[in-house]
Amino acid sequence: MRNLMVAGGILALMVWSYVGTEFSLRELLGGESAIQMLAYVRKLFPPDLSTQFLLKTGYWALETFAMSFLGTILAILIACSLVFLSSRNLMFAGLLFDMERSRPWVRVLRTLLCFSAKAVLNLLRTIPHLVWALILVFAVGLGPFPGMLALGIHTGGVLGRLFGEVIENVEVQPIEALQATGAGRLQILFYGILPQVLPECVAYTLYRWEVNIREAVILGYVGAGGLGQQIQIAISLFLEHRLLTLILAIYLIVTAVDALSAYLRSRMA
Amino acid sequence: MYVLDGICKVFDGRTFAVRDLDLKIRRGERVALIGPSGAGKTTLFRILNLTIPPTSGTLLFDGLESRHFSGRRLRDVRRRIGTIYQQHNLVPRLQVVHNVLSGKLGSWSVWQAVQSLIRPAELDLALGALKQVGIANKLYERTETLSGGQQQRVAIARLLVQNPEVILADEPVSSVDPTLAAGIVRLLIDLSETHCKTLLMNLHSVDLAFAHFPRLIGLKNGTISFDLPAAAVTDEHLAALYAGSGTEAAEEEIVSRAEPSFGRSCQPHLTG
Repeated sequence: MRNLMVAGGILALMVWSYVGTEFSLRELLGGESAIQMLAYVRKLFPPDLSTQFLLKTGYWALETFAMSFLGTILAILIACSLVFLSSRNLMFAGLLFDMERSRPWVRVLRTLLCFSAKAVLNLLRTIPHLVWALILVFAVGLGPFPGMLALGIHTGGVLGRLFGEVIENVEVQPIEALQATGAGRLQILFYGILPQVLPECVAYTLYRWEVNIREAVILGYVGAGGLGQQIQIAISLFLEHRLLTLILAIYLIVTAVDALSAYLRSRMA
Repeated sequence: MYVLDGICKVFDGRTFAVRDLDLKIRRGERVALIGPSGAGKTTLFRILNLTIPPTSGTLLFDGLESRHFSGRRLRDVRRRIGTIYQQHNLVPRLQVVHNVLSGKLGSWSVWQAVQSLIRPAELDLALGALKQVGIANKLYERTETLSGGQQQRVAIARLLVQNPEVILADEPVSSVDPTLAAGIVRLLIDLSETHCKTLLMNLHSVDLAFAHFPRLIGLKNGTISFDLPAAAVTDEHLAALYAGSGTEAAEEEIVSRAEPSFGRSCQPHLTG
């Protein structure tokens, strides 16, 4: 009975979204638009493979790559500086604090600190990287630098949350045992918590790097340099052959980063 | 060493794990705790090793009241109490050497601890402890690759490095195969005998308790059912202890005790 209701709900949602997005197969495939699409695709060929443009494309691809790479590193720094403060089990709750008879205001202060760190991470994360990029382009000017900052800030919030979840869900028994030997909280962090969470955190970081290389392309659209910016230029100036080259470059670089990250993750597991 | 007076532990405001417990443990004593599962043995141990505070009642450790412990003082007291758990008390991804040396964390500074993760400090100490438990060759292995019995020996090596005054062993052998179990119990007993360490052990096996411990405490529903010299514990005591608990293990214990058994006649410490 409940399953039926869920199925019915999903069906209703689909119908509603279908109507809402004005989805139309006939418009997509039939008549006029299909011919237009084909014509545009034909215009893309052949890609512009002149040495000069290829060199430039390589440079832009590198710029995009650097943006995603440095952005991810900035994200790690942001996440690591806030994640420990934002973890309940390290700040005020649970096993590590059961026996502590600290004064109430210390506890209140720690709780407040934890929640403000969480709030900051949420703020970084909930504002989309595109919005961050727009703000930062206004603040520091066009180019890959604001793009890198935008990626780092947004991803910092995302990683902070992901790391936080991993840290709050560590195996508690080894930690209880460490504490029982007289270990302090920082020592427990290094001996009990980090060894447990590190592999997962690295995997999450690599995955976010994969995401970031794609996002870095999109950021170019708002003036943050790299391949994205050139694509925007190519489209608006009707340089279709160049557009195809740029798209191929994106395909290559994203595939390469995906493969590298997948390889690194499999090495760790 | 320990004086417990009216100790209660209530979880979630309604479940009594330990109820109104009075207990005295003298320095150097060896005591076995037995009782059906769910009797509150593990909770009692977690109170004794200062992991959780009692809901009410007073706990004196070496004449010091536990409620006054906090911060550095709490760590200092914890360092004097070593605990062996049933299982899962090591950090699986750490090398054996670091798990063993974590027994030193109570006396190391944070900086020393971090440095030791990069280059193990006091390597001789770790190696000596591992030799004593017979797995010196596992020094640099990842702990999670070891078998359950080997891991339990690593835990004992950590205890040796910690060198506490009190050893609390919470069912140290229930996840270890029987032949190894006797050896591990023997090791802990020797340790307490030669260095005059207080030893408290939770045991599933009543036979092991009778064989090695001069004093037995039966725990049931969070209260003490009996607290007697091993020689004074009768089958009636055991029957009462395990009655109604209904677990298979408990019934087995009663059956094995009802048969004429070697356990008691063999046990070496017939202190009155």
